[in-house]
Amino acid sequence: MDFIDILREKAFLGREFLTWLWFKSDQSGGRVEIPGKKVLEVFFLDRMTLDLSDTESLQTVTLKGGQSELREGLAALKEGKKIEEARISIRATENDFTMVLKGTWFSFGSFRTPPILPADGSDVDDGGEGSFLEKAYLLEEGLENIDALFEYFVKLRISEEWENIELPALRKWIENSLT
Amino acid sequence: MGFLSRSVSIMRYGVRGKIEGSFWDVVDDGIMKNAFREIDTSGEEVGLGWVSIDDFTDNQFKGTSYLRGNYVALSIRVDTVKVPPRILEINLKKESKKLLEESGTQRLSSSQRRELKDRLKEKLKSQVFPSIQVFDLIWDTAKSVAYFGSHSIKARERVEYQFKKTFELTLIPLIPYLRAEELLSEKSDRLILEKLKPSSMVP
Repeated sequence: MDFIDILREKAFLGREFLTWLWFKSDQSGGRVEIPGKKVLEVFFLDRMTLDLSDTESLQTVTLKGGQSELREGLAALKEGKKIEEARISIRATENDFTMVLKGTWFSFGSFRTPPILPADGSDVDDGGEGSFLEKAYLLEEGLENIDALFEYFVKLRISEEWENIELPALRKWIENSLT
Repeated sequence: MGFLSRSVSIMRYGVRGKIEGSFWDVVDDGIMKNAFREIDTSGEEVGLGWVSIDDFTDNQFKGTSYLRGNYVALSIRVDTVKVPPRILEINLKKESKKLLEESGTQRLSSSQRRELKDRLKEKLKSQVFPSIQVFDLIWDTAKSVAYFGSHSIKARERVEYQFKKTFELTLIPLIPYLRAEELLSEKSDRLILEKLKPSSMVP
């Protein structure tokens, strides 16, 4: 398959990941445990876009506001829509990252890392290299957290557990949240 | 500066291909040959190329200033000029009238009109300030991954082309499926991934 075919035919993977991540986060009060690896705090913030990803007709719903506005997204999920992009926060140990994660391209908008520490005297002559490397390190840490969550999802998604346990639980979550 | 800002846009790319010869010599040579320069041909683009990530007026990279640890840190600078449509229209009317008077004809053919329009655009270009766009690119040479500071399709196409031209390496957007392939080490898992179909999440 060439790149364009993959982009078109496999776009569902990113959308299912975001939808599943909302389910995992909502179900556990934000605490997502990646078995054998780490625990991350994941919260869906104030913005979410959902669409009918697996059909030709483009029907998009954009939600902005607090948690109660985002709950309207559950009604969109019930109609078969999936999350195309969402503003999320991920906290690991002491570092907090926020970003708008986009499902189709797996790209990141408004990616905020913890602040870089102000340069002390020893950094004056390094041409900003110290700040650069610190920022690069923080960005990579944020992306590693996303990758850890994505890897957890992908391994579940290709296992029998997906059809037998995870997907029924996700459907039940949507159903119960609406009643 | 973009990359060091508190809030950044990131498009993640895998860097595919292999550099023939001495890695850092090829990198340095490529950057210097494709550093920002003005373009003296027709069209809206009047300047294109790599500049320092710290200073978009610096295309010299003294002391391999693009090198930061394992990273190659660059910005791509794109200068374009666009003649305002109304200004073009005024000049086009004026010049058309002059041409018609000179030739004694009633109207210009569509090709004459197009030719005149192109000529005027080029003439008026020098009177317009360019729009300067600068986008950061961070290439982690140890992991063969690059981070680009824009989601704009046009900017992405430009940097993909420029990167290929500079290093003869290809930037592939790490969309979910391709990232998933990288994360699955077992071939049997990748085969299942290949056959996956969308799941209905409707209760």
